[in-house]
Amino acid sequence: MQSQSQSQSGPIAQLAGLFEGYPGLANTYDEMFDGASPQLPRAPFARIAALLDKMRPEDLARAQALAESALLQQGVTFSVYGDSRGTEKIFPFCLLPRVVAAEDFRRLERGLQQRLRALSMFLDDIYGEQKIFGAGVIPPEMILGAGGYRPMLRGLKPPGGVRIHVAGVDLIRDTDGTWRVLEDNLRTPSGVSYVVENRLVSKRMFPKVFDAARVHRVDHYPTRLAETLRSVSPSGDDLCAVVLTPGPYNSAYFEHSFLARTMGLELVQAPDLFVDGDKVYCRTTRGPKRVDVIYRRTDEAFLDPDVFRPDSMLGVRGLMKAYAAGNVALANAPGNGVADDKAIYPFVPDMIEYYLGEQPILEQVATYVCMFDDDRKYVLEHLDEMVVKAVDEAGGYGMLMGPQASQAELDEFRARITAEPRRYIAQRRIELSSCPTWIAESSSRASSAISLTPTGRVEPRRVDLRPYILTSREGPWVLPGGLTRVALKQGSYVVNSSQGGGSKDTWVMKDHA
Amino acid sequence: MISRVADHCFWFGRYVERAEATARMLGASVSLALDAELPSAQVWRPVIVVTGEEDQYREAQCAGDDEHAAWGEAEVVQRFMVWADTNNSSLHQTLRAARWNARSIREVLSLETWEAVNELHLWSDSSTAQAVYANHRDQFYRHVRGGTQLALGLMRSTMLHDEPLDFIWLGVLLERVGQTARMLDVHHHAFTLASRNVGGEIVETALWLSLLRALSGSEAYLKRSAGRVSSDAVARFLVSEPAFPRSIAYCVHSAHDRLCGIRPPDRHDLPGGTSLEQLRVLDAWLTARAKEPLAGSSVHDLLTHVVDEVQEICGQLGKELLGATA
Repeated sequence: MQSQSQSQSGPIAQLAGLFEGYPGLANTYDEMFDGASPQLPRAPFARIAALLDKMRPEDLARAQALAESALLQQGVTFSVYGDSRGTEKIFPFCLLPRVVAAEDFRRLERGLQQRLRALSMFLDDIYGEQKIFGAGVIPPEMILGAGGYRPMLRGLKPPGGVRIHVAGVDLIRDTDGTWRVLEDNLRTPSGVSYVVENRLVSKRMFPKVFDAARVHRVDHYPTRLAETLRSVSPSGDDLCAVVLTPGPYNSAYFEHSFLARTMGLELVQAPDLFVDGDKVYCRTTRGPKRVDVIYRRTDEAFLDPDVFRPDSMLGVRGLMKAYAAGNVALANAPGNGVADDKAIYPFVPDMIEYYLGEQPILEQVATYVCMFDDDRKYVLEHLDEMVVKAVDEAGGYGMLMGPQASQAELDEFRARITAEPRRYIAQRRIELSSCPTWIAESSSRASSAISLTPTGRVEPRRVDLRPYILTSREGPWVLPGGLTRVALKQGSYVVNSSQGGGSKDTWVMKDHA
Repeated sequence: MISRVADHCFWFGRYVERAEATARMLGASVSLALDAELPSAQVWRPVIVVTGEEDQYREAQCAGDDEHAAWGEAEVVQRFMVWADTNNSSLHQTLRAARWNARSIREVLSLETWEAVNELHLWSDSSTAQAVYANHRDQFYRHVRGGTQLALGLMRSTMLHDEPLDFIWLGVLLERVGQTARMLDVHHHAFTLASRNVGGEIVETALWLSLLRALSGSEAYLKRSAGRVSSDAVARFLVSEPAFPRSIAYCVHSAHDRLCGIRPPDRHDLPGGTSLEQLRVLDAWLTARAKEPLAGSSVHDLLTHVVDEVQEICGQLGKELLGATA
């Protein structure tokens, strides 16, 4: 016992292996190292850093290549849009884990549960009595003008009373390491399959380090999701839940199939379903089968051509009537887009106070709402310092990175903001925290025979974190882990997979290692 | 089980079996061309005819004056049958189709089965496969056979033995009936001609043994016939031998069993009754025919009937169980 406690509190040795000469980024919080000169690992990660430090670059390069080919062979891939040959790629993956200290995560967990409770109450209110309109918390026109607000859903209570069954909340850390919410994803957040698959890879590649780190498991996510879905079923025990996918050409098809498989549910496409007498059925080899819960991974605009987009060839005609009749649960509930609208986001702390009477646990990022005259004026005057985002887009699209933008891009966004102020918000660029990341050396020395051994080095790259929160009848539950996305390009702040981002396994520690 | 998923299962089984059959047939033809002193076209033309891609081949390869020569070009035929993307029956296309169907039903396959199919597909797209094809042709066909057999074996040893596997296996068996019937039909015809012309009995024996090898049936046949090789005996074996897993009778009988599992005969409330009845009738017909002599042109008539019936049954299955719109 004595020696163990000494090793925890003793002086932290400087690292001279894999991490030797690890450069810090100016004005940036590093997840693993303290930024002093010379760099030392932060106290909770001393042991993990020391173990990783012992790995030789060749070994890591080999493990990295092995991991990538395993992902390809298992078909852990996403389809590349706009590629007619149906090319599939693996989601770029860095083997070096991102570690979150136990204490940090406990606070995040409480903060996320609080946030989800408030957002759920907000949705119930907006699609119910709309009491918040009279309270002076959020301008009503802000809400009614949100693209994700669906007036036709007002008065509808979802089965089980749950709307945000699955949420993914994007978190970042600023210069001093403060965690901040960057955005909420309350419609069909994706990426959780990579959390589970990345874990399988890192357990295989670093069994010793993993064992020493005492990390929370993540592989029970599908079981918890299945329980969540069952908890909101409108019928009894003998219920049928399905996963609804747009099909194999969808970029996230692997995940849809993964979740269906790991939950033991059927994976269906819209043509497999039909509605008769306000009840949903699935076409099976034994005739129609009643469906009670649909975990839908299709955009709500394509759910039901009768209600949303009449031009849609996709979708299940009559589904929304069945939903309104309380005969089928949809996860997530349609209409959630009003709550994760980027122009509503600045008001979430106020919502927490209004609905829960509590102080928000998690910080946010200061946001300028272009609909407000003062904010817009300020944004347009400081456009080259701002990150501008369209309120209804995701995946890194419809976005301006002011400090890196060309004059033409700045002019374009100036015109767009002036034309449609409601569609835009702006934030100062946050110096996202960095994390040691494996950068494979391009084989520039490929001419010499010896250099066939792959190698590389460890460099800081910027990261965010998307934890997943499941809400059942019993309330929100946070998966102790999450998707760490990393901007693999040097100097980049954009972590989206569509924009050259990759992922890392996220190790949430149980306690001190 | 969802009809669309059942459909993918069925076709997955068919494509995997088809890839194996094609690889086996090509490997056996390479070996036959080396042994039997036959005009090259007599070895290679049947390969194209069996897959039903004659027109396609004629269009792609026989543009020149000497049509006859093109049918005998071993390398041209093999390239067409292995790599041509214009040929829907090429190995490369078949493996891609198998893998695409597998990906569409990834959640019903076991991880091991999926990995076997995905790896084979990735391999067939790789430069490694090209190199093996160029330098070790036999090894190439062995690899494809091995990969597909691995997938077929893993299904049975790692998946639940319930509806999805029944549909996959139904696809495998019905595909196999078609493969065996067409192989036998094409060769029976060609071999009968050959034995009249060139070297008589000895050549014929080599041909029949090669056909049996292409169906993994030479050892099984020799056990049943105590080493005697004759066209009638081989035809009877491939049509009627109840214990040989590639004979037509065996496959039809097993397919009927599978369909009984999917749609029990007494469950008149469930769809699938017509397909089941058609399969039962074909099974009974084959059992009756096994007692009658089988020679000469009656072989062709029998095989034509079988191929037509199987096609009819597949169409019916599509309508009744696999969600095909009529």
